[in-house]
Amino acid sequence: MSDNKNFDPYETLHKFSVLWEKQINDFILLLTNNKDFIKMSEGGTDLHSRYLETFKKNQEALASALNFPTKNDVTNVANLTLQAEEKMEALEEQISDLQNSVKSQNKEIESIVEVSKEIIKLTKQLKTELVKTKKELSETKNLHAELQEMKLELVKLNDFKQEFETIKALIKEEKSTEPLSTVALGEQ
Amino acid sequence: MAADSPLTEFMADLDYDKEMRRWANLFKVLSEPEPKTGITPRDEIWRKNKSVLWHYPAKQKKYEIPLFFVYSLFNKPYILDIAPKVSVIETLTNMGYEVYLLDWGSPGYEDKQNGIDTYIEKYLQTAVKRAIRHSGAPEITLIGYCIGGTIASIYTSIAEEPIKNLIVATVPIDFEPFMGPDKWAEGLREGDINLEGFIDAYGIIPPKLVEGMFRTIGSPIYFTNYTNLLYRAHDPNYVDKWRRMNKWTLDQVPLAGEAYRQLANDFFKENKLVKGEWMVGNKRVDLKNINANLFVVSGSRDNLVHEDQSKPIMDLVSSQDKTYITVETGHVSLALTGLLAKIVHQWVSSRSNPL
Repeated sequence: MSDNKNFDPYETLHKFSVLWEKQINDFILLLTNNKDFIKMSEGGTDLHSRYLETFKKNQEALASALNFPTKNDVTNVANLTLQAEEKMEALEEQISDLQNSVKSQNKEIESIVEVSKEIIKLTKQLKTELVKTKKELSETKNLHAELQEMKLELVKLNDFKQEFETIKALIKEEKSTEPLSTVALGEQ
Repeated sequence: MAADSPLTEFMADLDYDKEMRRWANLFKVLSEPEPKTGITPRDEIWRKNKSVLWHYPAKQKKYEIPLFFVYSLFNKPYILDIAPKVSVIETLTNMGYEVYLLDWGSPGYEDKQNGIDTYIEKYLQTAVKRAIRHSGAPEITLIGYCIGGTIASIYTSIAEEPIKNLIVATVPIDFEPFMGPDKWAEGLREGDINLEGFIDAYGIIPPKLVEGMFRTIGSPIYFTNYTNLLYRAHDPNYVDKWRRMNKWTLDQVPLAGEAYRQLANDFFKENKLVKGEWMVGNKRVDLKNINANLFVVSGSRDNLVHEDQSKPIMDLVSSQDKTYITVETGHVSLALTGLLAKIVHQWVSSRSNPL
């Protein structure tokens, strides 16, 4: 960078080079940006391509006669490798899809196992409750039998009570008739 | 240090320290090995033919949706990871994004039949699937640069994969406007220039011819990069940047013949993409099918892709969330300076499911 004290010759060179570059490019653009140049370049490209094609064909013919491999042969081999690579890739994709489906199935299985565990737990609980209920039922049966027995006894007791009442009534009756006979005996 | 001279009054002094630094740095340019590019750690996820899908893990993952870079077919993608601190990919991984990059590789003669449609159907689609599977994310963000943006847009319009965001930078969509000489464009469109024989003869377009094609559009004669180096060689940072840029510029890749034919005939000559007449396999490419959130970046100093070539995508897509910005930058400097990472982060961070 130039200042009052120091001088940088390359700054000037750079500034001039920018200017020259722009001028040269503008000049090239002026020379080439027209139909004539386009036609000429098209002719040149066409000629170049034709020569290249002819040269390639001759080379292929010569290489074929001498049994030399050419770039086309290498290309064919490379394409075979690429085909194998694509098949491998397709297989990889399929394996990956399979892995994904296995993963999702595993998840489903896991959730089913979880549900099954819950069911087993619930069944065990129910079983315990069932045993309990059975026990209670047998106890209730015993109670029922006892109650029946009690009922029977009560019936018996009732019968006894009735008998007792009858006896009581008879005794009473007897008591009421007994003094009459005593009186009669005294009169005699 | 300054030398005494009888002409001191008339002529300014040379800064000798600066001159020493200048020539020492220039000597380094000529003698030292080329600077190392591609500095961010990465893993290979998938490989097919010459194409490789790279994964750059996030330093500390902060976003669920990964970024997937689709670069141009004309150059090597290491411009996105050119140097520490300015690397687009390094910046994004440091910000917490998982980044994927599809490197198309250098096609050989056996790939001459590879068209843009082949690259989309057989390479990009599988690579996106693999990236989604690898990341475990429900969706993905595509970032297309230059013609990679065109490819990403075409793919998004036919994709069955879940594309959440589409970001395209310096992207040609409408091929009607042309940055080069107008008579050449006219000649190509009217059939005065026929490239069929040329493409058939070469099979793949050699890198030097690809470079020449771009030079012809921009500036056929180009030497100011060397005078600029000479002028600023005293600054080691500039010299380092220049060397990396120079390495990348000269490191071109060949272009598959069929892809070149499609670009020249279908896109440039007949503008089939904008008209919705282009086909990928049995699917018609209609940009209206794009519903992903869209972000378009153009460079105001871009001398290869004009803003008028990018803007039409805004009206062609069906996206509800779409943003267009123009930044004060050139075609390559957007990636070279790392500016792209900052711009992308500003837009995509809120659309990437922050964790």
